[in-house]
Amino acid sequence: MNRKWVVPTLYILFLMLPIYGLLSMSFKTTNEILGGFSFFPQQFTLANYIKIFTDPTWYNGYINSLIYVVINTLISVSVALPAAYAFSRYRFLGDKHLFFWLLTNRMAPPAVFALPFFQLYSAIELFDTHLAVALAHCLFNIPLAVWILEGFMSGIPKELDETAYLDGYSFPRFFVRIFIPTIAAGIGVTMFFCFMYSWVELLLAKTLTSVSAKPIAATMTRTASTSGYELGLLAAAGSLTIIPGAFVIYFVRNYIAKGFALGRV
Amino acid sequence: MSRIEFRNVRHAYPPPPGQAPVYALKEVSQVWEDGGAYALLGPSGCGKTTLLNIISGLLTPSEGSILFDDNEITQRPTADRHIAQVFQFPVVYDTMSVFDNLAFPLRNRGMPESQVQARVIEIAEMLDLSDRLKHRASGLSADGKQKISLGRGLVREDVNAILFDEPLTVIDPHLKWQLRSKLKELHQQIGVTMIYVTHDQVEALTFADKVVVMHDGGVVQVGTPVELFSRPRHTFVGYFIGSPGMNVLPCRLDNGQPVFANNLLSSGYPADTDLSGKLEIGIRPEFVHFASQGIPVAIEKVEDLGRYQVVTVKHETEQIKMIVAEDQLIPSENPQIQFDPENLRIYCDDWAVGADGA
Repeated sequence: MNRKWVVPTLYILFLMLPIYGLLSMSFKTTNEILGGFSFFPQQFTLANYIKIFTDPTWYNGYINSLIYVVINTLISVSVALPAAYAFSRYRFLGDKHLFFWLLTNRMAPPAVFALPFFQLYSAIELFDTHLAVALAHCLFNIPLAVWILEGFMSGIPKELDETAYLDGYSFPRFFVRIFIPTIAAGIGVTMFFCFMYSWVELLLAKTLTSVSAKPIAATMTRTASTSGYELGLLAAAGSLTIIPGAFVIYFVRNYIAKGFALGRV
Repeated sequence: MSRIEFRNVRHAYPPPPGQAPVYALKEVSQVWEDGGAYALLGPSGCGKTTLLNIISGLLTPSEGSILFDDNEITQRPTADRHIAQVFQFPVVYDTMSVFDNLAFPLRNRGMPESQVQARVIEIAEMLDLSDRLKHRASGLSADGKQKISLGRGLVREDVNAILFDEPLTVIDPHLKWQLRSKLKELHQQIGVTMIYVTHDQVEALTFADKVVVMHDGGVVQVGTPVELFSRPRHTFVGYFIGSPGMNVLPCRLDNGQPVFANNLLSSGYPADTDLSGKLEIGIRPEFVHFASQGIPVAIEKVEDLGRYQVVTVKHETEQIKMIVAEDQLIPSENPQIQFDPENLRIYCDDWAVGADGA
């Protein structure tokens, strides 16, 4: 008898358990959550979700987060594309060292940078803007993006570049019209990783904002302490934060494996 | 179309910091006549690809200049030179269809769409790609992709030259033969200069009118296949062309005639007596015969290759290969060999000396 399905099924159940817990809590009232454990919501309610979608302090959190995440992803990818091209195609003095040391920024925890960033952004009046968070996240995302993209670009033979020149293309035209479409998969994977990092990062995002650019994760940490416990609301907000990531990963699901195979993700 | 001229071209790739540059191409002066079919023959790493990339402008030579029809173009970008080049491994634009891939060079040069259509269909027909024009290029097998690369190289009729860099490496043997004759046929049809890089001598000799043999970053001989065979100017040519290659044996000179291990020989190309340097004789296995009087040898090995036999004999410490007709008996007692004087040449420091030598 074929029992190959047993282990994967158990594994998936194991993975899904916390997510199910979160999801079922989001349909419960806070009193029910505090009252004891139940596997299904006893008094099914959509009140938590309604509150999030109608209260600006809640839904603005999502909007703020999405704005800086998108800005960050765009900056990271557009800066990393030429950098990765240079690393993959040209040899220059210290190229290998530089490539390795790109990762130094990822060797320190983000908390280390919170204070300098806070001071700097306060001084140049970037504090509490979407751009502030987006730029701060670039510190971590650009090196990562360069690494991932370099792997994909080095998989493309340099004869492709040469053929395009022979066929009458200049470098900029080749880069935009041929090269970028060719490594579209790599760009997709890179965007996914930039998106995810920026989306889940809490510390910098929370430190560098107060009101007008306050991210959803920060809103969630504060709700736990204001008007008593609002666990149902928190669970609903948490469930909603999973959605953008799930949405993005759906588009790059076929390419992620390739990224892993290149050893760069 | 134009005549391509190299004047004292040298090229070195940027060395690792702190090291002296190593020249991949050492001083090449060479004219590629308009409409010629050239083969560039040589072992891996002798500078063949470097030379092609200098013609197409993908590399700018460290020294020297390149002229198209007497116009200096050394610094001109690739796109201006109107060169088509096909690489060893397939290069296709994955995001485009087969048709768009083939049409790409034409459209870039602003050819009207109706002519593009006709030309692409013609080339696809030739390369047996007609039924796949609508498919995406990324889905094809390696040799299908290489056919697209070839097609893209051949599709323009107004190029100065077409360069092939070992284009048939990934193609199946039976198709290889077929495509090579197609290329040859096409050359006769459109008469554009073609330079074909290969390290396979059969490929070079069947494709080209003129074979350029390269060795260690330099051109050692340019000639027709027959010239390369009968009058190799450099020991490398003798050894690289022909199967088996030329016998190269140490010698000394006596009045301009070579002496090989105390046997005075006679050569059709006697040398000046006062040569110094490494002296050798070169004789092709085809021109070594068994004789009743000559150099005594011991037979080491006989390989029967069907239409002929390759016999390896030994005189003192030197091995000599010879080709013997299949029906000829190999003498079993006291065998002796002779070299054909007309095809025996003397080499000094690897270069041929004597009458029409160096």
